[in-house]
Amino acid sequence: MADNRPCKAELLDWINTVSFVCDDTKLFLDTHPCNTEALEFYEEFKNQRMQALQEYAKYYGPLTLDTMCTPADKWKWIDTPWPWQEGGC
Amino acid sequence: MWNYEKRLQYPVKITKTNPKIAQIILTQYGGPDGELGASMRYLSQRYTMPYKEVTGILTDIGTEERAQKRYR
Repeated sequence: MADNRPCKAELLDWINTVSFVCDDTKLFLDTHPCNTEALEFYEEFKNQRMQALQEYAKYYGPLTLDTMCTPADKWKWIDTPWPWQEGGC
Repeated sequence: MWNYEKRLQYPVKITKTNPKIAQIILTQYGGPDGELGASMRYLSQRYTMPYKEVTGILTDIGTEERAQKRYR
C-alpha cells in the first residue's frame, strides 16, 4: 500500500508543540492585545495547529470535535482511545 | 463554555506504579494548595476584576489550571 501518511508520534509531537505555542501566546495577548508582532505570531501558529489537527484526524482519528471527519453513517468521536487508555494521546 | 481535546497537554508515560508518588501528585492536584483550588480562585476572582486584560488572563489561566488533571 503506497501512502504518504505522516508518522503518528511525530505528528502528535508537532501538535503538542504548536498547541503550547498557541496557549502561551494567548496568555501574552490577553495582557498585550495590541502587540502586532504577537498577533502575527499567533495567527501563524493557529493555522499550523489547525492544519496539523486536520491531518491527524484524517489518518489517526479526531483530537478535536471540529476537525473530526463526519461520514453520514458513523459518529467517530468515541472510536479512538482516551488519553488514559493504552494507545491514547 | 468548557471544551476539551482528546489529548494531554503534555504527554505522560508511566512505566511502573508508585503509590507513594501518586499520593503526592494527588495532593498537588486536589490538596489545600493544589491546582484545583488555584483554578477556583482564579475563576472566582475574574468576576470582580475591573480590567478586561486581567479578566481575560484570569479566565484563561483558571481554565488551564482546571485542566491539569493527570491520568492513569
